[in-house]
This record gives sequence, structure tokens and C-alpha cells, in this order.
Amino acid sequence: MNVRRITAVATKEWKETVRDRLFLLMSFLLPVVWMVVFGYGLVLDVEHVPFAVLDRDQSSLSRDYVYRFIESRYFDYQGSVSDERDIDRLLGDTAIRMAIVVPERFEEQLLEGRPVTIQTLLDGTFPLHADTLKGYVIAVNRAFTQERITEFLTRTRGLVPEEARRLAEPVSLETRYLYNQEVRSTWSMVPALIMFALMVASPLLTALGVVREKETGSIYNIYSATVSKAEFLIGKLVPYFTISTINVVVLWVIAVWLFGVPFKGSFTAFFLASLLFILCSTGIGLVISLLVRTQMAALIITIIIAMVPTILFSGLLVPVSSLSPGAQVQAHLFPAMYYTDVVRGSFLKGLDLKAMWTDLLALAVFAVALRLVAYSLFTKRPKA
Amino acid sequence: MNRNDGTSLEAVRLWTLRLFVMTRKELLQLGRDAPLLLFLLYSFSLSVYVSGAGIAMQLNNASLVVHDGDHSESSRELIHRFHEPYFRFDGEVRDPKEGMARLDQGTAMVLLDIPPRFHEAIGSREPVSVQLQVDTTNAPQGLSAAAYAARIVGRFSSDLTLSRLGAASDGTMLMPVVDSAHRVWFNQDQDETWFQSISHIMRMITLFAFLLPAAALVREKEHGTVEQLLVSPITPLQIMLSKVLAMTLVILAATALAMVTVLKPVFGVPIKGSVALFFLMTALYSFTTAGLGLFAATVARNQAQVGMMALLVISPMLLLSGIATPFEAMPSWVQTLMALSPLRYFVDVTYGILLKGVGLELLWDSMLAMALLGGTMFGLGMWRFRRQFR
Repeated sequence: MNVRRITAVATKEWKETVRDRLFLLMSFLLPVVWMVVFGYGLVLDVEHVPFAVLDRDQSSLSRDYVYRFIESRYFDYQGSVSDERDIDRLLGDTAIRMAIVVPERFEEQLLEGRPVTIQTLLDGTFPLHADTLKGYVIAVNRAFTQERITEFLTRTRGLVPEEARRLAEPVSLETRYLYNQEVRSTWSMVPALIMFALMVASPLLTALGVVREKETGSIYNIYSATVSKAEFLIGKLVPYFTISTINVVVLWVIAVWLFGVPFKGSFTAFFLASLLFILCSTGIGLVISLLVRTQMAALIITIIIAMVPTILFSGLLVPVSSLSPGAQVQAHLFPAMYYTDVVRGSFLKGLDLKAMWTDLLALAVFAVALRLVAYSLFTKRPKA
Repeated sequence: MNRNDGTSLEAVRLWTLRLFVMTRKELLQLGRDAPLLLFLLYSFSLSVYVSGAGIAMQLNNASLVVHDGDHSESSRELIHRFHEPYFRFDGEVRDPKEGMARLDQGTAMVLLDIPPRFHEAIGSREPVSVQLQVDTTNAPQGLSAAAYAARIVGRFSSDLTLSRLGAASDGTMLMPVVDSAHRVWFNQDQDETWFQSISHIMRMITLFAFLLPAAALVREKEHGTVEQLLVSPITPLQIMLSKVLAMTLVILAATALAMVTVLKPVFGVPIKGSVALFFLMTALYSFTTAGLGLFAATVARNQAQVGMMALLVISPMLLLSGIATPFEAMPSWVQTLMALSPLRYFVDVTYGILLKGVGLELLWDSMLAMALLGGTMFGLGMWRFRRQFR
């Protein structure tokens, strides 16, 4: 290992990067743009669901019932229809996601104290929505039912409303939302976006590093130079590692100042994990760069490998615990999951180094393993 | 006249022949890139399977710990109602603090806390409440867990009401209860593998349709081979069109592979609409996305730049067009911005054809939007490409 030779490779690589203005600009701009666009725009809450109503009863009670959906922020009223066939068409065209059918004699039955069944038709193409929607509908029904029972008991049994209400709801549930009291998806999303930005942009920075030299032939200068394999690989990474490290700090500042996400944990632990994670993500790019022959292949494979598991298996949108066993294995084979734990832990849960050392260890193992793979793949004596 | 017809016919033949030769060249070039080809195969087969089978966004076995301060018949009855597939009972804790520690570590998601004298309170008809602590670091899942818990406790509570009133009155248990019969359309069992596998295919089509032609064009610029092409009798239109054609063919083949090997046999996705229409639409979508990619390629000078631009354009498309998250809930500026994303229309088209079985009579507007976007992008790319070399 010779520091002077590493510096030489790093300087060359740095100059190449800096002279490509568009590339340099993008490598700093991209994470920031993502953070802002996704931080404000990527909303996971199921809200403003378009729905239509078929009210067969047209009574004051049925209107009262329907009104609860209309005034809710979870639903977005698209008008009423008079025929079930209209519902078919609207659902098929994705103009609505749900339809409520209130049966005839809705008011009459309820006033007589009989149960009534409402029909809801849900669009099942996005099963999670359908499921959440069911939950909303049941909650509306429950509240409405309780009022009806209270009213019914006061009217028929002569109870005072207070007593009737207690009878209508003997056991209640008090829910507390931890770590994210207002259940804002921004708070859970923004820290994870730091992971997304590092995981998706950093590998691409390095991905073309070696394969570009292979494709243009300039790699022969390296083959014939005194620089060793390890020196070359380290020197190649220095500029991209620097860029990504600057990005971590910038993203942290955006998360805390622009989005106001509380940072409760230890900055040291967070920063250490971030450095390890950058070593992992740039390592992935490097390994791909060594495996393929063309820049086109390196580009496409890196983008897909960086983006797809990051969206699906990192805990960004779906928690790892609710993946199937097979997918969980895949999630664990990928460094993004551990870093997501660290980022969310540091921001929202206020965990320190002691609570997260396993995640850090995993990241360190990945970082080292990827370096070893890269080292063994790189050869200065190519065949033919 | 006749001679004129002859020459123009000959010109058309020559034009098509040149386009064909160029398309063939692109296919050959792609075919020789073994790592890339292998990766393409993987992306449209195994990878579709893994994401289809592996991802369940619906609440599934949320880990539940219980602090039972009562240990009575009623508390056991209530705990018993928290069961799979929504909740997985992960043990009892002796003290709420211990439960909170488990939430901190992330080894449990929900803590149910039943107060002492729970049974007694129910017996003496006093109102009583149980506590639920939910980890909402992942907001949608946390909310979903809370909603299910509310459903369970609510049902427990209303059963109690009914039994009390039933016992009190003459045995008839009629109450003005409003209940819902849910009918889930297009996917009755809410089988998530359908949604996830179809989404994944759309994701892959988008990535490849953007990147393959874009990288192929920039490569020619980078290596200087594009100069050779431009001094040949081939027009810029043929150069660009041949790349789009070749890559669209590859993508259609890959999509067919995914449908034949994974979607139908493994997940049993019912293909309700017309398969021909679906492939036609996929071709249109590939063309549109390729137009975006080619435009980026005319801006970029090397493949690294094109990669960065792809990330800039594709990641918002993938995350905000409605295959990862509900589109309606997005802020209105995102919805406006996403009018420019062809994927936003392709999502409606794909689910429409594959799951809902609708045809062009409902999808024509999405088709028109894709065609307009694609035509515009392709035209702009053409214009820039010509300008660069004239």
C-alpha cells in the first residue's frame, strides 16, 4: 500500500468527476431533489378515496348515514347514482374506488330496532386499500350504531341518554401512537429517504468507474502501471465516498430543518452507520462494475439492483417483519434494511449505539465482504 | 406516373429495409451482452416471483405483547380475540415498562394493556377502557393495526351490550345495528400476489424501456459510431426508431415470459381482458417511455450522465404513479406533475385489462394520453438529435 499512489488514482478520478459538470451537479442535486419531492409528495395514508352512493331508501336517516362518509377526510364524494350498473362502469374506469348501497327500508328497520346490512363494493386491485377502506367503513358503522342504540334505548326503555350510552359501549379502547404521535407518514418516510438517496445514487456513482476504463481501453494504463489492485480500488472510491458523505450531512439537515423530523438519537451512531452504509452502497456499484463488460450493462444492472430491492425489501414502504420468509431472507441479504433500522431508530426512537450495534455490525460485515469480492474479481492480467 | 410510383415504392422498401437492418443490429448487440441478457431474464421471472410472493402490505401477523393486569375470564376472552392473521401473540409481559422496551427494540409492534379489575368492572356495569400502544414508525401499518384492534375491542364491547340487553329483555336480541357486507371486486380474496406481481412487471418494463434505448444511443455518441451512422444513408429517424423498435420487441418478449412463467401458473392471475390489447398497450407504453429515455440521451454526453438522468426521472415515476402508494391521497401538485408520467396511465390500463377486464371503450383516454406524451417526447428527442449533428 502506497498512499502516494492511492492519492494519484484518487486525484485522477476526482478530476474526471469534477470536469463532468452535469454528472457532478446531478450527484449532489439528485438526493436533495428526491428528499424534497418524496418527503412532501410520497403520501402513504389512504385518504380522499373517491366513492359513489346508491341510496335506495332516500330517508333522512339514510342521508344522515351517507353524510358521515361525505364529510370524512378519508373519502371524496363523487355523487350518487340511481342504478347498480353505473357502479360497475365507475369502478371499471377507476373513477371510484368504493360504492355504498343503502338498502330500502333502512330508516324503518332501524327505528323498529332491527339490524340493517349496508352493501359496500370495493375496488380490490390494490388489496391494501381495500383492506383499509373496510376498516374505515366499519368504524363509521360502529359510531352510527352506537348512536342508534343509545337513541333506541332512550326511546323504548326510558333510560337516560347517559346510561344508555354506557350500555351501548361498555368497553372502550384508548390507543396511543408511539414514536410518531400524529401518525404522519412524513416522519416515518423522511428518515428512510436518507437511506433511499444513499442506496440508489451512490452505487451509480461508482458503477461506471471501472467498466468505463475497460470499455474505452484506458484500463491498460492501469494494467501496466505500478499501482496495485488494492490501491487502484481504494483510489477509485475516494471521490464518490466523499460526495456521498457530504450528501449524508445535507440530507440530515433537510430532514431536521425542513421537515422538522425530531432527531432523538446519537449523531455519532448515525454518522458511523452512514459511513459504513456508503461503503456498502458504493461497494455494490464497484462489484457490478467489475462483473460486466459494457457500461450499458453496468448502468442497467446497478439501477435495478439499487432501486428495486430498496423500494421493496428495505422497510421503506413495507416493514420487513411483514414480508414472507423467503422475502425476509432476501431483505437480510441486502444492507439497506439494517441502515433503515438505524436511521428510523436514531430519528424517531432515540436509540443509541448500544441498542443498534447489531445493525452496525451487519453493515460493517457487508462493507468488508463487498471489498473482498471486488478485490478477488479485479485482475490486472486479463485473458486475451 | 408509373415510374414515379415505382420509385416511391422502391424508396419505401429501402427505408423499411434500412430500419430493419438497424433494428437487427441493435438486437444482435444486445444479444451479445450476456450479463445484461441474463439479468433481463432474471428481472422478468424470478424477481417477479419473489416480489409477488414476498410482499404483503396488508397487516399480517403484527407482533402483539400483552400486559394482563387482571388475569380473569374476561381479559382472557379479549386477548383470545386478537389472533392471526392480523395479530401474532408474542407473549405476556409482567409490567408495561417491559412491553415498552420491546416496542423500543422493535421486537413487538403492539402492546395491549388490560387494567386490573377489568372483569369486576364489566360485572358491575361500570365503563372500562383498555390501552393500546402502537409503534407507528411505519405509519400505515401502525394505523392498520390500531384499526383492527379497534374493530376487535368494538366487537367485544357490542357483544357485551347485546348479551346484557338480551338477558334483560324477553330473549329477543333485536338492536338497530348497522353492519356492512363488503364485496371486493376484481380480486375477491384480496390476493396480494396479483397486485404485487403485476406492479413489479410494470416497474421492470419502465426501467428497461427507459434505459435500454437511452444507453444504446449514448453509447454510440460516446464511441463516436454515431458519426459513422450519420454519414451513411441512414436518417436520424431510422437510428432512433430502430433502437425503440428493438428494445420494445425485447420488452414484449420479456413481458410474455413473465406472464407465461409466473403470473398465470404460479399466482393464478385471471387475465380477464384481451391479451392482444394488453400487449398492444405495453408496446405503446414502451414506445412512450423509450421516448423519454431517448430525449435524456440527447441531453447527456456519456452513459454516466444518462444514468443520473434516468434516476432523476424514473424514481418519481415508480414511487408516485400509483403502483407503490394510493394515487388519490397524493397532494394535488404531485397529481398534476404525474400527469406527465406515462406510467400513471399505464397503471390504469394494466389493471383495467388484466384484472377488471375492461376494453378500449373505457381506456381510450389513457391510451390517448400515452400516445400524446410518447409522440411529443420522441419528437423533441428527434429535434435535438438532428440539431446536434447538422
